[in-house]
Amino acid sequence: MARIYVVDNGGQWTHREWRILRDLEVETNIVPNITLFKDLQEEGVQGLVLSGGAPRIGLDSSLGNCAEYLEKAHFPILGICAGHQFMARHFGGMVKPSKLPEFGQVELTICVEDEPLFKEVLKRSIVWESHNDEVTVLPRNFIKLAESDNCTIQAMRHNHKLFYGLQFHPEVEHTQFGEKIFKNFIQLCEE
Amino acid sequence: MFNPEKFIEKTISSLQKEIKAKALIAFSGGVDSTVCATLANKAIGKQLIAVHVNTGYMRKNESEQVKKMMEDLSLNYRFVDASKEYYLALKGVEDPENKRKIIGEKFIRIFENVAREEKIEYLVQGTIAPDWIESGGGLRDTIKSHHNVGGLPQDMELRLVEPLRDLYKDEVRKVARSLRLQVSDRQPFPGPGLAIRIIGEATPERTELVREACDIVEKEIERASDQKIIERPWQYFAVLIPIRTVGVHGDKRAYGNTIAIRAVHSVDAMTCHYSMIPHEVIDVISMKITNTLKEKVNRIVYDVTNKPPGTVEWE
Repeated sequence: MARIYVVDNGGQWTHREWRILRDLEVETNIVPNITLFKDLQEEGVQGLVLSGGAPRIGLDSSLGNCAEYLEKAHFPILGICAGHQFMARHFGGMVKPSKLPEFGQVELTICVEDEPLFKEVLKRSIVWESHNDEVTVLPRNFIKLAESDNCTIQAMRHNHKLFYGLQFHPEVEHTQFGEKIFKNFIQLCEE
Repeated sequence: MFNPEKFIEKTISSLQKEIKAKALIAFSGGVDSTVCATLANKAIGKQLIAVHVNTGYMRKNESEQVKKMMEDLSLNYRFVDASKEYYLALKGVEDPENKRKIIGEKFIRIFENVAREEKIEYLVQGTIAPDWIESGGGLRDTIKSHHNVGGLPQDMELRLVEPLRDLYKDEVRKVARSLRLQVSDRQPFPGPGLAIRIIGEATPERTELVREACDIVEKEIERASDQKIIERPWQYFAVLIPIRTVGVHGDKRAYGNTIAIRAVHSVDAMTCHYSMIPHEVIDVISMKITNTLKEKVNRIVYDVTNKPPGTVEWE
């Protein structure tokens, strides 16, 4: 059984991330974002989800010890919403207020082939959003995975590490392939 | 996956360990508090006293039905009619957060009174995940202060026990079914009740209006879903918007309030899609409300907002 923790950045759906992992039979816990990396290591964590958080946190503040996790982790990390934006900023990308913020239902288009995180996810699908800001410039070493009409970087991945960022929310009930994406992430953590 | 049988077993045994004296369960008659009361009753039996408060903001005949439920569940219970007190406490209050906090504190003060008389030390509540998530705290923003979390006073004397904290409504329903409780599929109703379905001051007169409108919405939606015209929504109700618009009644000018109808589909209340109720059903609801409340209401609107960006209730 994989051990994947959810790092709480104060999101409304942090607990949903925990629930979906628990439902998929993963050893999981919600931990505050000030948890030390060595404590996570000692517990044998094999993957992290960086949750979303209160408005603008991805834009201009640090996110607890998330930077440390991104520096030191040799396991997969999935950043969601503010977690995704923070990941982009940390590796040198840019985050700005969205011209058209997205709330609720949006159509996602995947723009790469054979991406393991999106295995068995349709090229076009319904996802749910809740964001004021977005990644406007990809960090070096990252590739873009998906977009929507009003947000060009909906998903990204590190070139050679299993670090993923998602602007949309795979953890909510209304996202069409949300559970599938989590299953794929769990598989990446187990490999 | 979530296993209700295991949950029931684990919870009863942990309640037996946690509760070391008499306990009070805040009983609204909804699925959360009924599940919680049943589990606590199994755990500590007659040490448990259920308290139902009629806040004056309950739905039509609701408190009477709840009384019967407490009897059917063979709970040791107290019924407190505090409607006058609540109306007085909310006089002149328009801000939704203030309403929620005043109502939350009042509940606790009433429970504390009962607790003193009965020498009770613990308060058992059916708090579920969205209640504390949306109430905020720490890094999390406050979306709305749920009466049972963000509305709790700082100086509360009772010790809180919340066995359903990590569950969402769909999971609580599974537990309810496993316990064979009739309320398992009852639609959610917020603790602050009709007070937060009235935009602006929740006066007794306005409460009567929204109570009647909610009753019509519930009956018609349930009729339509029984007849398989629609799938029963997650939650369905009326909101009183005290903004007046011009109408015409029998060749005479009318100038009355507006009622919004809200119906949403959801699994866990954390995301919701507004229900696509067919026009034939909305039409009947609209006519029934404007005919029944003709002196006060002459316009009906339908809310087509998802969550996010909206929330289920308007306040």
